[in-house]
Amino acid sequence: MGWFSKEEDNEYHPIDRSSRRQCWDSRDEFFECLDKIDVINPLDPSQQNKIKQNCQKQEAKFHSSCAESWIKYFKEKRVVDYKKEKFLKEMEQQNATRIELSPEQALGGAKGGSN
Amino acid sequence: MFRTQVSRVVPSCLRRPAGVKSFQWNRYVSCGRRLYDQDESEKLKRKPLSRIPIGGSEQSASQRVTSDSIEFSTWKAAALFIVVGGGLYYFFSKEKKRLETEKEAEANRGYGKPVVGGPFNLVDENGEKFTDENLLGKWSILYFGFTHCPDICPDELDKLGVWLDALKKKHGIELQPIFVTCDPARDSPKVMKEYLKDFHPSLKGLTGSYDEVKSACKQYRVYFSTPPHVKPGQDYLVDHSIFFYLMDPEGQFVEAMGRNYDEKSGVDKIAEHLKSYVPKEEREKRKGKWYSFLFE
Repeated sequence: MGWFSKEEDNEYHPIDRSSRRQCWDSRDEFFECLDKIDVINPLDPSQQNKIKQNCQKQEAKFHSSCAESWIKYFKEKRVVDYKKEKFLKEMEQQNATRIELSPEQALGGAKGGSN
Repeated sequence: MFRTQVSRVVPSCLRRPAGVKSFQWNRYVSCGRRLYDQDESEKLKRKPLSRIPIGGSEQSASQRVTSDSIEFSTWKAAALFIVVGGGLYYFFSKEKKRLETEKEAEANRGYGKPVVGGPFNLVDENGEKFTDENLLGKWSILYFGFTHCPDICPDELDKLGVWLDALKKKHGIELQPIFVTCDPARDSPKVMKEYLKDFHPSLKGLTGSYDEVKSACKQYRVYFSTPPHVKPGQDYLVDHSIFFYLMDPEGQFVEAMGRNYDEKSGVDKIAEHLKSYVPKEEREKRKGKWYSFLFE
């Protein structure tokens, strides 16, 4: 399971750089495997069998390298990122210009630059 | 510039009518002018164009500037134009940028009352008191986050480290970087100290009681969603705003910088703000340069 089950003193320790790296790498490996089997949402119940069959090893490593809350966050984020990317691609096909709104511009009116 | 041979040039009214012999010619000085002497030829150099016969003649042809001198003067004028024009362009575009940045900072300072920022009472990673007064006298950059942050906070804090090094190396600027936790339940000073080891050595980490952190976040208009009562060891994430807040030596808010600033553009933006910063007394004395109307 996550790190907190390993903690004996129950005291919270922040996650250090190497543990973060380890978690991110296992996440990338798992998501790469999901890409191969065309699964977007790892939380989708109808895909669970497919994931178990093909990416069980990667998923187990991901789960053992990251905290519970991070696992949930990254899995949900994958869907959001996919939708965002798809939306941007569609917009690009329609020759839309991307406007990056920085906070002061959002407050002070539209003065966006293309990106 | 007009290198001409004008000694033989005479006004059209003095021109010898056809068929008149030279000895009679002097009597035809009827348009009230003296005949030009050889030594007066210098004056002819400044003869107005209106007195050069239209259509040209053999005399006026000699008044035309030679092609050599045209090239010479054009080249000179072009060089002058480029130097003066380029210089002015450089000066005004630089001034425009400076005034814009100054205006932006002025707008964010608000009028009298700061929109973002204000008094807070927290403790740093060594357990020492840290309040808004610690912002006075130096430029600070604040970031709100939490140590259990999965990806954005560590990325942003790494980016901050790159900014800080580049600002010092390229511009000789040193900021006071501050990381404020939005998760006081887990992030004790001890946890903060442990977490900050991975980041820039000058980074300070602030925490406090739930109410104090909540109040500090409110001052900075930071949204966060830490539950007030969490069980020890409970695993949760905190939703929070992700901006860097640049604060001037008066402790006033200058700008909120989002993720749209990368490792390079962030450095430029901060350096711009520091360069265009004018201390309060001077700011009030001076309403603007005489040419600031150009950029209105």
